[in-house]
Parts: sequence; C-alpha cells; structure tokens
Amino acid sequence: MNRKSGIVVSWWALALFLVIVALLAPVFMSGYALRFCTFVLMWIGLAGSLNLLTGYTGYLDFGHVAFFGTGSYVTGVLMLKVGLPFFPAMFTGAVVAALIAYLVGIPTMRLKGAYFAIAMLAFAEAMKHVVLELDGITGGGNGLSLPIYTNYTFFYYTMLAAVAFTIAITYWFGRSKFGYALKAIREDELAADVSGVNTFSCKLIAFAISAFVAGMIGGIYAYWMTFLTPDDSFNVLLTVRMIIMAFLGGAGTVLGPIIGATFLASIEEILWASFAYTYLIIVGIIVVIVVLYIPRGIVGLISEKLIKRYGKGRKSA
Amino acid sequence: MVLKTEKVTKTFGDLLALDEVDVSLERGDILGMIGPNGSGKTTLFNVVSGVYRPVAGDIFFQEKPITGRTPHYICRKGIARTFQIAQPFSQMTLLENVLIGAMWGNGKSLSKGRDAAEEVLDLVGLGEKAHLVPDEVTTEDRRRLELARALATKPEILLLDEMMAGLTPTEVEEVLVLLRQIHASGVTIFMVEHIMQAVMSVCNRIIVLNYGKVIAEGTPEDVVKDEEVIRAYLGDRYV
Repeated sequence: MNRKSGIVVSWWALALFLVIVALLAPVFMSGYALRFCTFVLMWIGLAGSLNLLTGYTGYLDFGHVAFFGTGSYVTGVLMLKVGLPFFPAMFTGAVVAALIAYLVGIPTMRLKGAYFAIAMLAFAEAMKHVVLELDGITGGGNGLSLPIYTNYTFFYYTMLAAVAFTIAITYWFGRSKFGYALKAIREDELAADVSGVNTFSCKLIAFAISAFVAGMIGGIYAYWMTFLTPDDSFNVLLTVRMIIMAFLGGAGTVLGPIIGATFLASIEEILWASFAYTYLIIVGIIVVIVVLYIPRGIVGLISEKLIKRYGKGRKSA
Repeated sequence: MVLKTEKVTKTFGDLLALDEVDVSLERGDILGMIGPNGSGKTTLFNVVSGVYRPVAGDIFFQEKPITGRTPHYICRKGIARTFQIAQPFSQMTLLENVLIGAMWGNGKSLSKGRDAAEEVLDLVGLGEKAHLVPDEVTTEDRRRLELARALATKPEILLLDEMMAGLTPTEVEEVLVLLRQIHASGVTIFMVEHIMQAVMSVCNRIIVLNYGKVIAEGTPEDVVKDEEVIRAYLGDRYV
C-alpha cells in the first residue's frame, strides 16, 4: 500500500468515525447541545443545497431562501389546514419548491452572472410578499403555528437523514455524466453547448434538485420551530449565510459545505457566548480573511497542501 | 452535399456581417475559408454551429434544415467546431475535457466515454498529458485539446477556426499531418485559416469572404490568382 492509498483509507476511516459519532450523538447529548447540533446539520443541508446549484453550475443564487421558505410554508399549511402527516407534507413542500425553481428557472436561467443573482434576490422578496398576501392560508404577518412536537431526537435524526441525502446527491454530481455536464457549464457554457451538452435543461434540472433539498430542509425546520413568519422563512440573510458557508468550505466539493457550515456555525456560537454584542464584527473579519487568502475555501486549501506534499494525486477523471 | 448554406444573412445592429452567403460542402472536402479580418468567417461558423441565429437564409445538414437549432443539437447531429481562442474547461483535466464531448456529443456513458476520450487524446498526441489541466500545457497542446474535444463528438463535419494561428512553422506542419489523418478517417473539414502555406497544401477548395460576401471560390491555385481576392487583400494597386 503506497502513501496515496494510505491517505484514501484514512479519509474513509475518518468519515466512518464521523458518521458513527453523528448517529450516536443524541445518546450523549440533550437540550442545548442537541439543538445546536441539529442547527449545524440544517446549515450543512442548506449550504449543500446551494452548493448543488452554485458550486457545480456557477450560477450564484441570491434568492435561494425562497425554496427554503416555500418548503416550510407548504409543509406548515398542509399539516395545519389539510391535516397531512409530517413526512408527506414535507415531501410535498420539497416537490413544490422544485417545481417553482424549474418554472422560475425558465426565464432566469437565461441570465448570466450578476443578473441571475439579482433576479433571484427579487424573486425571493416577491415570494415573501406572496406569503404575506395569502393571509387566509398562511396567516400572513401574524405567522403560522404548527402542531407542537417536542421530540428533539426525532428532529436531529430527520435533519441528519436530509443531510445524508444531500451529501449523496453531491457525491453523485461529482462523478456522473450529469455532474460533468454541470461542471462544463460552470467552466465555459458556450463550449459545453457546442460539445453537445444541453446546457439549458441541465441547469434547470440542477436548479430543481437544489431547490428540492432546500424545500425539504425548510419543511423539517417548520415542524421543528412550530412557528413560521414570512420574515423568518424568507429572510435574505439565510441566503447570505448559505453562500458564505458554501464558499468558506469550498464550493463545488462534497466536503466544502459540511466544513464551511460546521466551521461558521461553531465560531458564531463560541463567539456569541463570550462577545454577545460584537461577535458579528469578528465573524465578518474572519469571512473577509478567508475570502482574501483562501479563495478556494478550506477544502481547496487542504487539497493544495496535500498535492504539494504527495505530488499530483489527481485521479484522471 | 453534407452541408449547404442558402443565402445566409446575419446582422449586428446596422452591420451586415454575412450577406446572403452560399456555401456547400461535399463529403470528403477540405474546404478552406480565407478573407481579411472582420470579413465574417467566424460569424459564419457561429451561425452554422447554432451559436447565432441567422436573420435570413437556411442551413442544411445532410439535406435537412438545421437553421436556428441549438448548438448542442447541431453538435449531436454531427457538426463539431473549435474556437479561435481555445476555450477549454479550465478546472478539468484534458481527459475530462474530451470526455464531455464523448459523453454529451456522442451519447456515451461515463465509462465508455472515458475509453473513447483516451483514444482521441492518443490520436491528437496528448495521451501522455491526459491527467494535466489546460493551464499546464502549451498553446499548441490547447489547440490539440480543442480538436480532441470536437473529435470526441464523432462529427461528420469539423469546423476549425484558425487552428494554426500563432503556432511555429514546425507546429503547423505537425497539425497539418494530424488534419490529414483525421480527414483520411472520413471527416469532412471546413477550416478558417490565415496561414496560406497551410491552406494551400491541405485544402481541395477555398472560398474567400470579404465584407460578409463570398467573393471567390475554387481550387487554391485559382483563388490566389483571382483579381477580386488580390484587391481585397492588397488593394487596387496590385491587381
């Protein structure tokens, strides 16, 4: 066994260890710790959802929260007004989010770069107002109260399952014909098109998959929080955090969103405890430093170091 | 007739970039296209490959209209192209670059596509460099990569846009050998090229474009003697 395959083995061992820790966590934790871990999982899922679109196709979605919000409200309304059980409601919420992304993508996916980002930002705001206006169903500005369920271990495992699903899709993106098409679109859309990639439908499908994940996590969030308001569910800051986490960790990689979300959420939690009033300033400075000095994210930095040390371990295709 | 354009016209604002261009390619042709800068050569390629939609006229591939179809549709039908300035997928290895063409342009699965991509890379002489990224190879190699990606889509027709610009005479010779080899395997070639040595030696026919119009057409020997061609390139004094 040479050094390279040794690294691969130890990576898998580390991954296995983390999976076991994640599965056993609720046995050792309760209350605050479990709640925090569930939050970290939620952010891994959300950053992962954004990563599926932005990391692979290069389309920066500044309105991604729209799909999280859609998932949460569809889940809430279906449980409350239709009396659907949680899982079917959540699944429907995710499907609705995916459908909306597909339809919105038809005009917006023709835009490039900043124009797409701006269009999606406006779209998310518009969605918030749709929910506010439909107050007969959504409760409008007064919010929506869901049936209360306080089994926090349940939410932890549901979130964990959602994260596992997200990671599985990301892994598939990384090594499938479809995933290669997305990366080609990110690198050079015109060259991808003339090489036979149906760029437009590939982008739409990626967008819908990414929105499905965000909607699914929104649904879990809704049942977990039991109270939804349009301002919380469609908060633009949620989008900003997803973007920061994905890029901090390394966009377009499997590990990036996991590391980015865990890192940022933990730092915020630690700093918040000791510097309640100034922690956001410190977080801001950390983000600036990361963007300036490690533009490819933490994962990019580590893999560069590994390549330097062990030579080009780049597997061909 | 594998490719035929009929009165293809393209404008950019007030500029008439292509003015009722009629071009036809027979199977087995190596058709060269020359003309001064800005005469519409690349625009014609863009219109044929579906990047631009012509404002008037029709394009037929194997007798069937392809006017206004998308680039990926036209690629899958069998017309592949390269770009004047190489446009590789810069964060992918050379193998992965070519793999895109094999999978999406020629409908191969990931594993079959990989075999096909390796074969094409060997053909263009990049087999040893398959695991490198485009930034790590020379300009000539990046041109070969463009060619490989296009070839991997299994085209009937290859549109080559100034493959040899900026290459040394030795490199030009190497690329010419490669082109003859590709042509011998049954691919029809339509190439824009400024290097006359290359055009004269490899093409069986040449068309000359000036201000969006075809001003001459024929064998290389005839075309270089054509008065209008000399006028377009050198001015009235030299006619």
